[in-house]
Amino acid sequence: MKHKAGRKTKSARTKRPRPARATAKTRPKNSIDAFVTASAQALGLTFDPAWHDSIAFNLRLILRHAALVDEFVLPDDAEPAPVFHA
Amino acid sequence: MLETGAGDFAWDSATTIATAVAAGRVSASHIVEATLARIRERDPLLNSFTAVTEHRAFGRARVLDAARAKGEKLPPLAGVPFAVKNLFDITGLPTLAGSKINRDLPPATRDAALIERLEAAGAILVGALNMGEYAYDFTGENIHDGPSRNPHDLNRMSGGSSGGSGSAVGGGLVPLALGSDTNGSIRVPSSLCGIFGLKPTYGRLTRARTFPFVASLDHLGPFARTARDLTLAYDAMQGFDANDLACADRSAEPVAPHLDKGAGGLRIAVAGGYFKGKTAEAVAAVDCVASALGANRDIDIPQAERARSAAFIITASEGASLHLDRLRTRAKDYDPAVRDRLIAGAMTQASLVVKAQKFRRWYREEVLKLFAEVDAILAPATPCTAPLIGQQTFMLGDVELPVRANLGLYTQPISFIGLPVVAVPVPLAPLPIAVQIIAAPWREDVALRIAHALEAQGVVAAPRPAL
Repeated sequence: MKHKAGRKTKSARTKRPRPARATAKTRPKNSIDAFVTASAQALGLTFDPAWHDSIAFNLRLILRHAALVDEFVLPDDAEPAPVFHA
Repeated sequence: MLETGAGDFAWDSATTIATAVAAGRVSASHIVEATLARIRERDPLLNSFTAVTEHRAFGRARVLDAARAKGEKLPPLAGVPFAVKNLFDITGLPTLAGSKINRDLPPATRDAALIERLEAAGAILVGALNMGEYAYDFTGENIHDGPSRNPHDLNRMSGGSSGGSGSAVGGGLVPLALGSDTNGSIRVPSSLCGIFGLKPTYGRLTRARTFPFVASLDHLGPFARTARDLTLAYDAMQGFDANDLACADRSAEPVAPHLDKGAGGLRIAVAGGYFKGKTAEAVAAVDCVASALGANRDIDIPQAERARSAAFIITASEGASLHLDRLRTRAKDYDPAVRDRLIAGAMTQASLVVKAQKFRRWYREEVLKLFAEVDAILAPATPCTAPLIGQQTFMLGDVELPVRANLGLYTQPISFIGLPVVAVPVPLAPLPIAVQIIAAPWREDVALRIAHALEAQGVVAAPRPAL
């Protein structure tokens, strides 16, 4: 189910097609496992293989939370909370 | 001056101690001596301290006693012993932040800003307190230093991550402590240990010279056993500090002069929906406070569950970013439960984190609209009373949830947008639990007034443990 921000801005009123995405529920387990391995390599993180399952478990948990935020449609002009002051 | 038989002031408030010291009924040195004796006697049970600053404390006490002897007027917290979560810099000690890794850091060369401010108000630092590793914790457990323990049942959690702060104040070792709160780390220990805790508005109190966790969400604040003590400490610590880039450029707005105004005339509602308690103790605590305040209206905080999720993502990602270099070089020196969460956080895609920050802005605007209708909102501080140390899960209604990630279920959506909150302890038997009094940004005065009024009615109180 898609949730929309209540505020009606110009961009929020514009209908945009949203491609189907893999969610935490639909993403296959082994894709996360592969992602953990690839991310670790990309980030220069080496770890004991015995930690892999726990890291993958925590990443799945984060992605479940992320899915809840991701499905909430915000207007294009929504500003992120932190504001840099020059 | 009353010295012999002056008592150990173990359960006296900071206000009582400061008044006695200022009036010359007891010396600051006697207070320090009694406090240190208490720590020696009880802390082997509570495990709340990781360092005791005995020499420094006696030095400060002697300065205060000498000033008193010369007839000088003493400051408002004169002689009040306090301790700080060990992520605050203390001159001469490495800032542990609950970790093994930070033990290799050089000793701090200057105190954290809030320690300086409390000492300028006459308070006396007596030590550093146990905490969850790098503040990524709601349990009060620590693999390196052992768990800080709940003063009401030593087999139970103190709550995290400021577990030592909750344990030390709730256990009567000190009347005042400082902690940090990123997602609930002041309010959760306050709830489990049965004491008062203040998480001020984001940006209100300087974080200068403390070890960070999540810059977007980190707050510092006090713990005490009365609302007045919380207020005195808070007032002493307010004010702009250019050394914390998030510190708001606002003048101090002292609350003490307004504390006795009561809760009359304030519009108070109970948070509904997501915040409706699902355990008997959480329901009883909120009902008790709401009934005393005549708060018979429910209010919906929109999208609170999503707000918690967004806080979860930002925490994982920013926390991981802070630790990335250490994760590359010293991963084995972390608590595995913290390490694996941080590594997973490092793998969280930036696009999702930015989305969470955009949602944060939207949510803030929606929640602030509620404060046009009400002055304060009540919600449970924790879903349950203190779990057993080592307990992995708890029941929330029909659902079994992991303890470590979920004790902050009700605190995360509030700190996510920096609202000020006072956690007030409801002394239920056999274990206390707290209620959050949530106010609009910069209205700590409203939450503290309500807390003080509830205390005067006897509805909330820090129960004295049988230690």
